[in-house]
Amino acid sequence: MELDPIQMDALAEFGNIGAAHAATTLSQMLMSPIEMTVPKVQAVDIARLHQYISNEISAVVVFQIQGEVADGGYIVVSMPRETVIQLTNQMLGTTDTDREINEMDQSAAIEIGNIMISAFLDATAELLGIVMLPSPPALAIDMAHAAFESVIAQMAGDVNDVLIFNTELTSQAPPVYGDIYLLPNAELMQQLFQMLERLMEPLP
Amino acid sequence: MENNFFGEETAVILGMGEHRVGKCPMGTIGLGSCIALILRDRRKSLAGLAHIMLPESRGNTDRPGKFADTALSVLLEEMGRFGSTKLSITAIVVGGASMFEYSASSLNIGERNAAAVKDLLSDHGIRIEYEEIGGKVGRSVYYWPEKKGRLIVKRADGTCSAF
Repeated sequence: MELDPIQMDALAEFGNIGAAHAATTLSQMLMSPIEMTVPKVQAVDIARLHQYISNEISAVVVFQIQGEVADGGYIVVSMPRETVIQLTNQMLGTTDTDREINEMDQSAAIEIGNIMISAFLDATAELLGIVMLPSPPALAIDMAHAAFESVIAQMAGDVNDVLIFNTELTSQAPPVYGDIYLLPNAELMQQLFQMLERLMEPLP
Repeated sequence: MENNFFGEETAVILGMGEHRVGKCPMGTIGLGSCIALILRDRRKSLAGLAHIMLPESRGNTDRPGKFADTALSVLLEEMGRFGSTKLSITAIVVGGASMFEYSASSLNIGERNAAAVKDLLSDHGIRIEYEEIGGKVGRSVYYWPEKKGRLIVKRADGTCSAF
């Protein structure tokens, strides 16, 4: 998949708006400031994915993008295990950080993912004037790369690279760290560009 | 997880859809629904590894290691060039996990991958010497072809086995 710089920019800006809203909701939930990196958009060869997605044990929450757009794009929230435990503690008012992931952590990870991604898609869909919704979430707590394989297998049957939009969210207190990935498939990508181009046309 | 107790840092790491035949140490990191198919010829200290992503190629040939059917063919062909025959080759199959709970079945491609690889191996009459498939745990796999061959599987839950 070849993208020209304008398309890269458009996608980065599109994701930026979504991620900013997602970061705001996270910040409200935690009642603490959240920092966000400048989003990156790259086409990643599937054979090189292991250099791009870490092997750290993480909670990976996956949503398919649905609504008034072509099916098949994915949006993913990935958080290291320690972050999930921190988030659960923060919300429940507990303090034990040296423990295994339990059911409470799993539902916390899903809920946080759900709230953040809903905000992400709401904001971007509003920008485009369409409806975009997340599918029900799917959760894996495992090596992040292992979880991504299932997503990539859905997308890269006929192509050898996938387009990945990525931004990192961090907070100092509580110390949490997470990533949002947006993986549009070719049809969704096309549709997004058409809509973004229309947005950039000068007014008559 | 990041220790180097077994010397796995010397291994050539194969990404999704890649394959390799040779005598060097090989591995895959973070195997989820994908399959690591290792064919080995112990007499020659030779092995082939493919990081298989999907069960059927449906006519795609540019990355043979990506699909179960083309991966097996290409490994057999390349090992054949080193003089291995189907009789001297045995197989190790690892991976094919179902990573997602609460999930639409479409994300659980692992089972289909595992079934496809096993069917193909039995069609070719290749014996499976060791298999570790399914479950819902990610794995890293390393294989050293030298001498009689050595396999290490590291699981995401921290357990590890060596053969």
